[in-house]
Amino acid sequence: MPVYNAPLLQVDPKETRRYAGLMKAEGFDEEKIENACQDARLLASPRGIWQIYDYNCDRQEVCADPPFIIQGKKIGAHLAGCDKVILLSATVGEEIEETVTRLFAEGEYTASVLLDAAATTAVEQIADDMEKVIRPKAAAQGYGMRWRFSPGYGDWPIDQQPELIRLAKAGEIGVSLSSSMMLIPRKSITAIIGLYKEGTRKEQAVHAKGCAACSKLDCPSRVIRP
Amino acid sequence: MIHIFDGAMGTMLQAGGLKPGACPELMNLKHPDVVKGIHRAYIDAGSTIIETNTFGASSLKLAHYGLQDRMAEINAAAVKIAREAADGRAKVAGSIGPTGRFVFPLGDLDFEEAYQCFFDQARALAEAGANYLLFETCIDIQEMRAAVLAAKDAAPDIPIICQLSYSEDGRTVTGTDPRSAAIILEALGADIIGVNCSLGPEQLVPIVRTLAQNCSVPVSVQPNAGMPHLDENGETVFPMDAASFGSWAPKLLEAGATWLGGCCGTTPEHIRAMAEALKGCSEPARQPRQPKLWLASRSKSVCVDRSLPTVLIGERINPTGRKKLAAEIRDGSLLSVKKEAVNQVKAGAALLDVNMGVGGIDQAAAMKKAVSEIAQLTDAPLVIDTSDAKALEAGLRAYPGRALINSVSAEDARIAEFLPLARKYGAAILCLPITEDGVPKTAEARLDAVRFIIQSAKKQGLRDGDFLLDALVMTVSADVHACQEVLRTLQLYRRELGYPSTMGLSNISFGLPNRPLINSTFFAMSLACGLDAPIMNPYDESMQRALKASAALLGHDPNGLAFSKDEANLSVPKKAAVAKTSDLDPLSAIKQAVIEGEKDEIVGLVEKALREGFDSNEITEKALTAAMTDIGEDFGSGRMFLPQVLLSAETMRAAFNRLKELIPASAKADKGTVVIATVKGDVHDLGKNITGALLANSGFRLIDLGKDVDAAEIVKAAMENKADIVGLCALMTTTMVQIDKVIEQLKEAGCPAKVMVGGAAVTQDYADHAGADAYASDGVKAVKLAKDMLGIR
Repeated sequence: MPVYNAPLLQVDPKETRRYAGLMKAEGFDEEKIENACQDARLLASPRGIWQIYDYNCDRQEVCADPPFIIQGKKIGAHLAGCDKVILLSATVGEEIEETVTRLFAEGEYTASVLLDAAATTAVEQIADDMEKVIRPKAAAQGYGMRWRFSPGYGDWPIDQQPELIRLAKAGEIGVSLSSSMMLIPRKSITAIIGLYKEGTRKEQAVHAKGCAACSKLDCPSRVIRP
Repeated sequence: MIHIFDGAMGTMLQAGGLKPGACPELMNLKHPDVVKGIHRAYIDAGSTIIETNTFGASSLKLAHYGLQDRMAEINAAAVKIAREAADGRAKVAGSIGPTGRFVFPLGDLDFEEAYQCFFDQARALAEAGANYLLFETCIDIQEMRAAVLAAKDAAPDIPIICQLSYSEDGRTVTGTDPRSAAIILEALGADIIGVNCSLGPEQLVPIVRTLAQNCSVPVSVQPNAGMPHLDENGETVFPMDAASFGSWAPKLLEAGATWLGGCCGTTPEHIRAMAEALKGCSEPARQPRQPKLWLASRSKSVCVDRSLPTVLIGERINPTGRKKLAAEIRDGSLLSVKKEAVNQVKAGAALLDVNMGVGGIDQAAAMKKAVSEIAQLTDAPLVIDTSDAKALEAGLRAYPGRALINSVSAEDARIAEFLPLARKYGAAILCLPITEDGVPKTAEARLDAVRFIIQSAKKQGLRDGDFLLDALVMTVSADVHACQEVLRTLQLYRRELGYPSTMGLSNISFGLPNRPLINSTFFAMSLACGLDAPIMNPYDESMQRALKASAALLGHDPNGLAFSKDEANLSVPKKAAVAKTSDLDPLSAIKQAVIEGEKDEIVGLVEKALREGFDSNEITEKALTAAMTDIGEDFGSGRMFLPQVLLSAETMRAAFNRLKELIPASAKADKGTVVIATVKGDVHDLGKNITGALLANSGFRLIDLGKDVDAAEIVKAAMENKADIVGLCALMTTTMVQIDKVIEQLKEAGCPAKVMVGGAAVTQDYADHAGADAYASDGVKAVKLAKDMLGIR
């Protein structure tokens, strides 16, 4: 069931605030953020695709044909104990990005930056919704899901992107790579999710998740935990 | 009567020799004795209805094993085995699982392909003698709709059982809640509505209850034996034992399910425990359901009823009289349609009317596309507004919900063409009192026309919850009784028929001055006479205010609480900052407006300052540049954030532009020349654009080369423009190395410009290493560094 284009019934304004670096800003016009979220919904063409593979964690090998050896210690540790992996890709399409560029060129700097942040929120939501669809399927087979991990997190080199594109079959939803390993459209995601046997080994808590795992401490979008 | 289903099939097949990775349904041909043994075990345990081993025997699923050509054979064998095993002791339900793919636009499976797949399997099961068709474990209401439509066509006489799977949040993973599912599926003609799999019995109790409260057909439930995990051998284990499982059966029965069984992890022992626990239990008394008008989208249901607040039907998705919208629809663009959908819901519309009536286009194709795209974007149920039967069917088929048809008149053609479609797709109808002779003048004649429509509809199988009555508004300037007759019609409808009412309002005031006043007054009168669901422009403020006041007066807004709150909000001035700037001297006011990002104020303030004798230089230096300096400090110290800085930059730009228009010599970019670019291979340019905008608004001459720019081109531009500074941006580790290359080539060319670098992956260390003169962590910093490098203040 690999294609799932999640509806965007809303784009979360709180996350958009965060991606716009406005978490600590006071008195910023909420309507501007809401407008950006709404425009993102109108301009987005949500697409998502995933494939499931067997995984050998000793060799960090995704058992595809041809197989894919994952480089990077952190991702290796993150997938330890998993015997299947899901390769997924999601995108909001090109139109939103064209509008971000056009708005900026027209001098609508703020609207442009906010729409860019809303697009980031939207593509993350699409991937979250895909996980929501995948989770019960995995659970029905007794599997739990690790959180999704993308090239560029930790020490996973982004020059492994072509393999993720290949294995997720991202081309089918119009996601590709530039020569410098950038996702096209820009607001796209490729990621891997490890499936582990529920009950035999719990999700490992040793590795920090999300923002806590990132070394960019001065990031304006960093989630601050109490 | 209480019916007991069987339990899991897959695990029993494995125990009977099914190899991992093999096709379970092929067992029907290869090992019929094993399958028959499982059926018998369940019947012996107490099952009164057993499921054929055909969950994955659709052509789409069998294709995974290359067995699609044997679909009919496998299904026929399965029914034969089940019937032999039952031998009159149990009924046989033909099990049909999901296709494994999502139906477009949620996924890549075409609705018609899904329909065909279900049709073929349903027919194979029916022809072989199944007593029921059971669609189960479905997670997408649109796929279930395809299944029901297919089953009705393939086997019209066999009852259909529809079971969706819900997650812990009480919705299917694609967002459908049990109430919406019950409304959609009952209207579509499901004979039994239920839930199976994914959760244990405890979590299914509330879902069963909601289903039972929202439909009048029997409810079924088949829980898993708890939530599974894998054991050391990699086997899936469901933790709930037979006794605990059985103990939940009376609770599920009490919640409203009379068809009960098990799903994953259940065995004949679980079913035996269930059957034992239900012995002596009596069927729960279901509350007779009030036939109310319910409409539903994939994830939300809306009720139109006199006991509930007024339901607004947004009328704006309609190209009639709107040239621009019509042209867009003709060109195949739906952007404005989508905007209208989202904005109307924001403005309070609970239902959205969709009319694609543009001449010279394929109405059916346009309606199908509009309906599927709007349904992906908003959860307000839709009203399909067309006079074209083909477009109506296309819209109804594509809609993953229960829609309202706008409209069915008492004219022969409409009755003949539209009513069967309403029945087939489970849609409600808006009854329009127009006869072959035109619009009846009196309320009594309209009542007669509507009665005729309802009688005809009931003959087709429509029921009491399927009607919304239009009172039909005529123009008061043409007919002095128009308003009176409409109000009387509303009262008559309510008194004589009791169904909810609707109408388009604005026609009443045609040809009169101050139409908003007439419309809102008429609206208030209509609400008092029983109007339930006006079709209107939800952006119209006078109508919205009349509605809020009427709600307070008619008791829909107890004690006028919402009304009072609204009024209080309206009296607050929009922005405190507006008042602030007016108290200040002109230069401080400009500075303040820039800092606050008051883009709409700034031009007026600049003009005022010029009128009061300040020259452009003073305005630039003491107000605009001074503001930017403060902003830079606030940003640096974390008191201000990037989008706020950009708002200030926009404000500043508006000020500069106005100055330039009034005094062309002013606002010259004389601080120095900056050439900026995102390096070769990198397509991220928002950060670079931000930096460019801030530099340009700080008096620098900016030459922006764009993104993905070759080193040679950057060097050439720097030399030709006698750049003082070259700004390079790279976002990623893979493109960062281009910075080194550009710097090297600039040096080779003897370019005297300073080099400033930045971008997400770039660091001070990297900048130093590459031989850059400065590293800017953000656009504000870049402006400061540029000034420092060129020795400006």
